[in-house]
Amino acid sequence: MKKRIIFLILAVAALLAFVWMLNYRVISNKNGEKLSVVATLFPYYDFAKIVGGDKAEVSLLLPPGIEAHSFEPKPSDIFKINSADIFVYTGDFMEPWAKDILIGINNKKLSVVKAGDVVSLLNGSDEGLGSGADPHIWLDLLNSENIVDGILTAFVKKDPQNSDFYIQNAHNLKNELKDLDNSFKAGLSNCQTKTLIYGGHYAFGYLVKRYGLNYLAAQGFAPDSEPTARDLANLINELKKNNVGYVFYEELSSPKIAETISEETGAKLLLLNTAEKITKEDLNNNVSFIDIIKEDLVNLKTGLGCQ
Amino acid sequence: MDILEIIQFAFVQKAFIAGSFVALLCSVLGLFLVLQRLSLIGDGLAHVSFGAIAMGLFFGLYPIYFAIPVVILASVFILKLVKKGRFSGDAAIGIVSSAGIAGGVILASLSNGFNVDLFSYLFGNILAISSAEMYFSIFLSVVVLAVIYLFYYDLFSITFNEDYAKTTGIKTERINSLLVVLTAITVVLAVKVVGVMLVSSLLILPAVTALQLKRSFKATIFISAVFAVFSVIIGIILSIILNIPAGASIVMCNFFVFILAFLLRNRS
Repeated sequence: MKKRIIFLILAVAALLAFVWMLNYRVISNKNGEKLSVVATLFPYYDFAKIVGGDKAEVSLLLPPGIEAHSFEPKPSDIFKINSADIFVYTGDFMEPWAKDILIGINNKKLSVVKAGDVVSLLNGSDEGLGSGADPHIWLDLLNSENIVDGILTAFVKKDPQNSDFYIQNAHNLKNELKDLDNSFKAGLSNCQTKTLIYGGHYAFGYLVKRYGLNYLAAQGFAPDSEPTARDLANLINELKKNNVGYVFYEELSSPKIAETISEETGAKLLLLNTAEKITKEDLNNNVSFIDIIKEDLVNLKTGLGCQ
Repeated sequence: MDILEIIQFAFVQKAFIAGSFVALLCSVLGLFLVLQRLSLIGDGLAHVSFGAIAMGLFFGLYPIYFAIPVVILASVFILKLVKKGRFSGDAAIGIVSSAGIAGGVILASLSNGFNVDLFSYLFGNILAISSAEMYFSIFLSVVVLAVIYLFYYDLFSITFNEDYAKTTGIKTERINSLLVVLTAITVVLAVKVVGVMLVSSLLILPAVTALQLKRSFKATIFISAVFAVFSVIIGIILSIILNIPAGASIVMCNFFVFILAFLLRNRS
């Protein structure tokens, strides 16, 4: 009898899920007037939204909490790209699945912005992390300005009539990025330590290079690599040496490694957001890339003991 | 840094302690599972727990509390498929685990993404164990080993001759359910502490290694536990010396011990 009740509850739950799904499926796809833009990662999505203003319909391809490397596009995603005007992604080293889609679709009007092509890339071997380019290009704010330019070029090409509007928006955004870059330079100039200890994957290579910091991360470029005991012991020793007492952790991922370091040293945890992924709440609340990076600066100043 | 220095870190000591208890727990439980031809149940249930966690997040419930009952149900379902439906263990596990992971993928996509990276919360790492998790793995080991001790003769009898066990009045169905429910709890909770790779390998390798030596059943349980704990300790030490990931190093140690036992058996 008990088992039957449990099965009944499960069946009802499954039915509810199905009904909910039906409601959710109906996505309107009629914005004849507006430019339709698809961006893979949050920074590109945010930049395109700001440049396009109310003249573009921008959608974020990767759902919150999904890794760019391991993402598997759904049929509706491919459909979305197929009917889009502009597609923004990093490059084959970050979104290896994008190449196959772009070959497979039949969309003659699609303008592709490859952000990795418009910035100066850092090479993994220079950072002591094996071969291949470091994909977290937007964390160098100068790169981000270039990405904005790349997106702007595509907008102007697709919709020349409104080019002044786009150019103005991009100009404002680039000024904001420039201001932010200056506050990073000023804010990080006088710190107790220059070593950033990170209990996540190696994402801040661009940022630390730009502001002359040292960087120790528990993992490599990809979040699924496992740190060894020696890696962790090195991080802990480094943290004990500099006496500021903070360890940074990654957004939307289990902070287990950072917690281990913290339990060992008594260091406090601070969030350092790569802006690669974003929570559903933040997405719905229109949190911008600049908001996230500003938050990072505040935490960096605390964590490195800056004046 | 030399090895003696690294071993003094608390996180390494926690890995030794929690790893040894999880090894003890899995190796004893694993012996019954291997003999019942359910070796891969650890892997299978880990996949189901992925689906269950996705379901928990989808309905906005705290995922791990939701996962335990769902995975227990899945384990009982596997048992029913084997005992009542006359499917082989691998087919039954395959049926349930593939449905589990596919369900998880669909739910993850339906909810338009979660706020967290599912896998990072679901799967632990032996070098990143909190003190609470360490005490918890000791507690779980004691509970599971106590249950196995109390029901030892029933489990033993069922494992070797279920029909005979039935005629002697043992409630075989209940005892079998007990075994898979313990496995389900171990999979969900121990996987969160040390990771799926380690749990599923510790359920299989020490047991098959001990079986190579062809001793009495009690001795086999003991040998299985000793091999498992030995592999964890040697595996962690080697991982420090060679600077390789600890989980994988422990699995390889188990594998080499198995190969040695296998060669020894064939020689004699």
